[in-house]
Amino acid sequence: MVIQALLKRNTYYDSITLMSVAQAAKDLPGVEDIGAVMATEVNLELLLNANLLPSAFIAEQQMPPGSEDLMIVVRAIDEAHAEAALAKAEERLTSRGDRGVSSNTEILPTRSLEMALKRDEAANLAVISVAGEHAWLEAEQALRHGLHVFLFSDNVPIEQEKRLKALAISKDLLLMGPDCGTAIINGVGLGFSNVVPRGSIGIVGASGTGMQQLICLIAAAGMGISQAIGTGGRDLSEAIGGVMMRSGLELLARDKQTEVIVLVSKPPAERVAREILTAAQITKPVVVVFLGAAPERFAAVAGNAQMARTLTEGAELAVSLAGGDRTRVPGKDTLNKYDLASERAKLTPSRRYIRALYSGGTLCDETMLLLSEQLGPITSNIPLRPEWALAAGETFRGHTALDLGSDEFTRGRPHPMIDPTLSLQYLTRAAEDPETAVILLDIVLGYCAQQNPASVYAPAIAQAREKARAAGRAIPVIVSLCGTEGDPQRLSMQRTALVAAGALVYESNEVATRAAALLVDKA
Amino acid sequence: MTVSLVAVDYSRPVQPIFERESRVGTIHSVFHKAMNIALDGTLLALLSTELPHMPNSVRLSKMIVDELLPNLQPGMEVWIGNEKLFIPAYNLSLRLPETAAWEPRPDVTAYQWHPETVARHVRLLAYILADKPQQGGLAPFVRPLLLGRPAQETPLSRMAMPKLRLLTQASWRQNMAGIGEATRGLAGLGPGLTPSGDDVLGGFAAIMALLSSQLSADAASRKHIASAIAAVARPRTTTLSAVLLAHAARGELAEQMGTLLLTLSFPFEESETILDAANHVLAFGASSGGDTLLGMLLGLRALEGEIN
Repeated sequence: MVIQALLKRNTYYDSITLMSVAQAAKDLPGVEDIGAVMATEVNLELLLNANLLPSAFIAEQQMPPGSEDLMIVVRAIDEAHAEAALAKAEERLTSRGDRGVSSNTEILPTRSLEMALKRDEAANLAVISVAGEHAWLEAEQALRHGLHVFLFSDNVPIEQEKRLKALAISKDLLLMGPDCGTAIINGVGLGFSNVVPRGSIGIVGASGTGMQQLICLIAAAGMGISQAIGTGGRDLSEAIGGVMMRSGLELLARDKQTEVIVLVSKPPAERVAREILTAAQITKPVVVVFLGAAPERFAAVAGNAQMARTLTEGAELAVSLAGGDRTRVPGKDTLNKYDLASERAKLTPSRRYIRALYSGGTLCDETMLLLSEQLGPITSNIPLRPEWALAAGETFRGHTALDLGSDEFTRGRPHPMIDPTLSLQYLTRAAEDPETAVILLDIVLGYCAQQNPASVYAPAIAQAREKARAAGRAIPVIVSLCGTEGDPQRLSMQRTALVAAGALVYESNEVATRAAALLVDKA
Repeated sequence: MTVSLVAVDYSRPVQPIFERESRVGTIHSVFHKAMNIALDGTLLALLSTELPHMPNSVRLSKMIVDELLPNLQPGMEVWIGNEKLFIPAYNLSLRLPETAAWEPRPDVTAYQWHPETVARHVRLLAYILADKPQQGGLAPFVRPLLLGRPAQETPLSRMAMPKLRLLTQASWRQNMAGIGEATRGLAGLGPGLTPSGDDVLGGFAAIMALLSSQLSADAASRKHIASAIAAVARPRTTTLSAVLLAHAARGELAEQMGTLLLTLSFPFEESETILDAANHVLAFGASSGGDTLLGMLLGLRALEGEIN
């Protein structure tokens, strides 16, 4: 019988690791007993009582073991078996990520695509987020290595996008992007993504926040997502021709887990929209949300595809087709959860206009489309019509919706979904504008988004409302809150803080917009 | 460029550490979802929001923790103070959110405490603990200690059992020499990152600190026992255990422990709620939850009176 020991100075592993290490070594042949304990005075006494104290080993140490040291002791039938058990224990410890002071499991960060490929040959997807002018090069390299690509970078020239997508198609790969905000592939979120269960609804989207809104509303109804494939916002433009949306559609048509497919896009080129609808005549149910594309205009080509006017309507249709309860989608039924009539009654006649501040481009588009139907022109930095564009230096004019995530606002600064500084500045400006009746803003949760947006928005909203109240007026603030309970920021936590600050919070952007419209006079 | 982060939430005892002049500490240990920072003889824990609140914790979103922890190594320098935590090696700055701090000391005064009801809960929880699969700590000793059932004799039981009996007996009698002897025998004893004996002492000390005034059969406060346990244990165990024991002695507990403690004031008809809270405690660590619960039960038993 021999007793051998391993001493790891100032080293800490969690209890579950220590237990599994001890068990793994104990199960080896020839091992009689094992102890894995912090070397406190009483634990050395415990080892002695258990006939496990490695007296000779301790005597050899220049400094005796102490309470911050981990000691693993093995009693085995001979030295070979004892050594094998300790080797097993050490192997188990180093395979865990926990690190104490003396352990050294540093892994160098991956600096290149080649290095990443060498490290994990099983990888089949590259996420690229480098400066736009270099992004195409990395994307091309990844495609040539046989990897699908999620291209987060923006400012990639459209000619490069066309070329890269042709290369991807020739290799039967996906090129998600450029400027692809979100995707969920095999349950893994990429970019700005929300935490949702896996399920039977697949999405292909040329719209980041549009996909996020759909995903969150579907999750709110208790349904899950099989795959969410982003295509980049220009995919349905005349120049690109919807190649990646068609490719994504084909993939989901073949995917066994996907039972219902949703296609979503910002306002598409009409020819491309028709081609996509033609391609959507498949056996699986397909829901199409092409914002700004009136379903009646496409009735001739829509065929089996069901067209929805809004993201919320699209989510309701998808949930229903997938066998879920569409009434669980927080849609129009939630409109009257606040007393909007009383909010409206508090407004003075001079305050006539909605000021919508968006970080999500698609959500902004949807709001402008809905508002313009009811209220007439909506000025914007991304106007629905050229004549509704804001002039240089103009912040608001009439009903205004700003996409604060567009290039002119984000050049040299983080996107407002990550850093809300700009949104907060505009919130203050809108609140101080004597013509503002109601402020409408979006807050998008999920990975990559700001970690606790309510912590900055709620005080700003409360302050704006308090200033208005002190001046004898009211300023309703409506929040379109896009997220899930599983998100790092927690939907309920964010909602509670915002409501406590006096905001009217809706999870559907459509409903938030309709609520805002109810507070102002029709055109 | 400095990367600036805001924590999701933080525990109240952490706030003064951020408010004073900046001081240098080091990263003590890094785990998958948590890390500890050693500073001025105490530890500050940075946790993922996936984990429950700890009395010394600042919690960050899972996303941040997943990004941050793989890059950090024990021994790295960390500055805390002047309202922020700063890690120079990564030019990373973290500040606390403007929301109110989480309070780790359960507000026992807001509840009605009936010794007979609590005693019934103690019996129920003792049975639950006895029937749970054993994880190698001291929790199995609930059988001989509170249920009069036999337990398997092991080197650990031979060392721990007399000390656990002594701790309970001496605490009722306010025999400080006995409490000291029991603590010396239990501090640092057994398996685990926080050795099992420390977890038992933590649960026991928390009961003395929080409920001895309300529940002692002789109506005498035994708060001083809690601080004595922490003081005696401190040089005999790991830094992490010593820090958590110091918090427990002030009545500051991990979230799930505090929740369970408050449910003990509920009427017996609400035993489902109590069992649910107990299961959350038992799910903590490999043996820490069970050991802490054993400590709480022994503490509550000690307040009932003389043990035959």
